[in-house]
Amino acid sequence: MGKAATWETWKPDPGKSSQHVAMLVDTADCIGCKACEVACKQWNENEARILQEPGTYQSHPNLDAKTWTVIKFTEYKTQDGQTTWLMQKHNCMHCTEAGCVTACPTDALQYGNYGVVTLNQASCIGCGYCEQGCPFDAVHVDKSAFNQRAQKAGKCTLCYDRISGGMQPACVKTCPTDCIKYGDRNQLIAWGKERVKELQARGHANANLYGETQVGGLHELYVLLEKPAVYGLPEAPRVSPRLKLWRYGIQPVGKYLFGAAVVGYVLNWLAARRAFNKNHGHDGEAAD
Amino acid sequence: MAAEPRIRKFTRAQIIYHWLYAGSWLVLALTGASFMWRPDPHGVVTGLGVYLQGDVGQILRTVHRVAALFFITAPIVWMLMEPRGFMGEVIELLTIRRLDWKWLAVAPLHYTVGRPPLPPQGKYNTGQKLNEWIVFTGYFGFLISGLIMWFGRGAVSVEAFRWMLLLHSFLFWVGVLMASLHMYLTLVHPFTRQALSIVGNGFVSLRYARAEHPLWVAEQMESGKAQVIDAPAHD
Repeated sequence: MGKAATWETWKPDPGKSSQHVAMLVDTADCIGCKACEVACKQWNENEARILQEPGTYQSHPNLDAKTWTVIKFTEYKTQDGQTTWLMQKHNCMHCTEAGCVTACPTDALQYGNYGVVTLNQASCIGCGYCEQGCPFDAVHVDKSAFNQRAQKAGKCTLCYDRISGGMQPACVKTCPTDCIKYGDRNQLIAWGKERVKELQARGHANANLYGETQVGGLHELYVLLEKPAVYGLPEAPRVSPRLKLWRYGIQPVGKYLFGAAVVGYVLNWLAARRAFNKNHGHDGEAAD
Repeated sequence: MAAEPRIRKFTRAQIIYHWLYAGSWLVLALTGASFMWRPDPHGVVTGLGVYLQGDVGQILRTVHRVAALFFITAPIVWMLMEPRGFMGEVIELLTIRRLDWKWLAVAPLHYTVGRPPLPPQGKYNTGQKLNEWIVFTGYFGFLISGLIMWFGRGAVSVEAFRWMLLLHSFLFWVGVLMASLHMYLTLVHPFTRQALSIVGNGFVSLRYARAEHPLWVAEQMESGKAQVIDAPAHD
């Protein structure tokens, strides 16, 4: 299969912002070294935090507002009774239909160029609706910050600042096994499918490509050795119908009804005022 | 000109409750509305939403929560100040009688063109009762959904949170529609704006009360409970 050099020189076309980029994590090649976690923190200037030891090979229990990528560790017993260690680089999936974008009341979260879900922290009010909207638990508000102004959402940006300048995401750049690929999404999907076939031929019967179609297509793709559920990934993630009803149903309908009510009040006032003056008041009251 | 006789409709406790509730509700509605004012850089009015983001939005969230405390406290204050009166008023406001349905059938036309005449009403007409039903259910609905959204994040499932968000927003719009009608009728509508004085000093013109709430006025007069002031000597 193609090595990192294949992707090292790839750059999105700056004149073609509709082009969709993606990262593909080949979990078969991930050694769980966490260099990607460190590179992510370093590039994005997210401070390290002392957390309780999870008691596994995993460095953090989960993503948080200052930890945008984590290697999830699963000790798994395969069907033939062998114990295996599974690694999955977890971060924002940059969904084509994103629950966080649907939930965000200030549009701090938006669909950016290249298929990236961008987060403008200056617009964020820290309401945390995005946390409740994300089907992957990949965006979090910094609740530990004492200063309320610092209580903002944080998540992987797919190094939007780097890729806009033609560079690779920091995690891709630093990965020693080149298991994180970055490039054109369609090309990565094609590569991933070939890689799955190769792994299946080597005896990994459950190998699969994750992210091609989920929630409209993810921009974080995975070649997994086992079924998604083994890694804690949802088989069929979706944006909650309740969130959609909230944003696309109740909000616009409420605004239209309120507008109609105001028009109704004006018309009612014109008619009632006429009746009031004509009758010299109302039920015995004197008109002004 | 002789002073017009006025009859007491609201007690002091009710007036305090009304303004505590109305004031906090208004602040909650305005700060809550900012959550629905998505900034659209291409919109003339929606473009203003930019100013509700970021730090301002965070301050509005805090204001929203402070106002919520007043909102929660409002009926409790009334209940503590006037326990018997509170229960009596709530029961009266929530009790729908046969005449209420008749009133509801003719009121929209009556309050537009002045006819047909309204069926006689007690202390509160059907519209006021409808308002109270929305206030009553809205209070508990906002209380439960708001507290879960405030304190329950992480403790309840994300699905439960999403339901609460939906309920909170639904109640918001129902409340906005009812409150706007309430304010239109008391501040603007020529037939009913006299009633505004009730939430000021508790009194309303006896003539107005006889026109709008004849059953209540008759009952008050007969029982000797009526508090009428500024009555001219010949009346």
